[in-house]
Amino acid sequence: MACTHDHSCEDHDCSSNWSLYKHIDLAKVTALNEANPGSVKSVFKAWEERLNSSGERLESNEGDPELLVYIPFTSDVKIKSISVVGGADGTSPSKLRVFINREGIDFSDAQSMQPVQEWELVENLQGVLEYQTRYSKFQSVANITLHFPGSFGGDTTQIHYIGFKGEATQLKRDVVATIVYEITPNPSDHKTRAETGGGLSHVE
Amino acid sequence: MVLEATMICIDNSEWMRNGDYGPSRFQAQADAVNLICGAKTQSNPENTVGVLTMAGKGVRVLVTPTSDLGKILACMHGLEIGGEMNLAAGIQVAQLALKHRQNKKQQQRIIVFAGSPVKHEKKTLEMIGKKLKKNSVTLDIVNFGEDDEGKTEKLEALLAAVNNNDTSHIVHIPAGPNALSDVLLSTPIFTGDGEGGSGFAASAAAAAAGGISGFEFGVDPNLDPELALALRVSMEEERARQEAAAKKAAEESSKQEKGGEEQDATMTERASEGASEADNKKNEFLALAMSMDEPASSHDLQDTEMSDAATEDPELALALQLSVQDSAKDSSSQADMSKLLADQSFVSSILASLPGVDPNDPSVKEVLASMQSQSEPQQKQDEDKAPKEEDKK
Repeated sequence: MACTHDHSCEDHDCSSNWSLYKHIDLAKVTALNEANPGSVKSVFKAWEERLNSSGERLESNEGDPELLVYIPFTSDVKIKSISVVGGADGTSPSKLRVFINREGIDFSDAQSMQPVQEWELVENLQGVLEYQTRYSKFQSVANITLHFPGSFGGDTTQIHYIGFKGEATQLKRDVVATIVYEITPNPSDHKTRAETGGGLSHVE
Repeated sequence: MVLEATMICIDNSEWMRNGDYGPSRFQAQADAVNLICGAKTQSNPENTVGVLTMAGKGVRVLVTPTSDLGKILACMHGLEIGGEMNLAAGIQVAQLALKHRQNKKQQQRIIVFAGSPVKHEKKTLEMIGKKLKKNSVTLDIVNFGEDDEGKTEKLEALLAAVNNNDTSHIVHIPAGPNALSDVLLSTPIFTGDGEGGSGFAASAAAAAAGGISGFEFGVDPNLDPELALALRVSMEEERARQEAAAKKAAEESSKQEKGGEEQDATMTERASEGASEADNKKNEFLALAMSMDEPASSHDLQDTEMSDAATEDPELALALQLSVQDSAKDSSSQADMSKLLADQSFVSSILASLPGVDPNDPSVKEVLASMQSQSEPQQKQDEDKAPKEEDKK
């Protein structure tokens, strides 16, 4: 099993590097323009299984090779590189554009927005290629959206495996859930200088 | 209970003046829209609905997706009929409105009322359909009104392009005696993808089909919602009490080891007969006495179980009781219960206090007597059980 490191893989287990799939919130993964709803969840698996195409794969609709995959993580992660295994006969995706920490992106947004990073992909049927990220931009990723605009000439785009390499932090980038706003101020919350000693201010 | 944002596209073109549906096609449409809004918001309080018109001077969004029913009903007033329907533009504007919904977690759905002829090409409609499918927007089409050549075909083609796993539907409604909204009630547009439908739609459909004046209890929920609600709640409570009473009597009889199956059967039959035939007050008495020492949790559990499957059919109720008897129950409460009921004086005092219950009524006496005879072997049984448990410890 060749990999892009310049050591032999028998020494250590490459799969431990590609373990960010464990931090993916699989229930909330969605994809647009997939032929079978829910098939997108099958592309996130362990490194060893990346060539195992006996299960389902992510396929776009007939005649339209564009795909949009939204992946939320259970905690913030830092992504070092991404690996994509496509299908044969020109059904591999040709380009990848990613957006970070944006929810609800659809095709018209994806086509008009500037991606955080984009790559020209190559057919990677053996799963040995990884595409490195500009690490500084991928420091606290709560969710990532992958946009595959086209394929290598095939009618559809097929994806067998998507892998992320990096580390997971324990933090969570959460929206502020409950805030209590004051309509009128509570004097006890506002200690004035007069009470603490000195000053001319007072509280109504 | 799907979380959904819906945009309803109304046809307010000249063709809607026609009176072949209801008072006029436009009125029938407005009624249907009101019904849909109600059903959507009821099935999930976080659902939002918006409305736009497709004809007139041009496509115009009246209400952006909101969960405020009042706003939607208000905007339906003062709508003018005129112009020609622009189906393609209408659907595209609806898609745009949905794209900018506040809660991105909602599924997107468009409901189109296509009453006038469709002037777009089939190809155009198919492309629109594909775009909707790509952005996972589902589409429901209500085909009514004009039926010129190709309209049905075009709409079917549009549906085929959008449809993903049967989430989109088309309904053809010919002119007839039934109102547009009534016919819609039984379609998947209301019942929503085979979930079983919201209670609102189901009950309204049942009432309409049953040919009653259309309302449960003869009270219009719109005119007097509180009364209708109170009536419904008390009906359900009564039903639950009856089931609890009958089930309780059945369980008590089954706990008895001796006596055999026959006695149990006759006991439960008598008990259920007594429960169902007797006055409502008698049932209340039974339920009252039972509920007094009953631990609230197990009772409620059983009540919900019973009421879920409840029907007016006494045989079915009997079968349910017999099957529920196997469920684990708190034996101490049983003992307390039977002790209480065994206390003849206590029971008769309660009876006397209840208005409308005649203690000398033969059916009541029967039930009492049987309960008493049960409670004695019951107590013996419990005493046997208690030392056994101590031995185990």
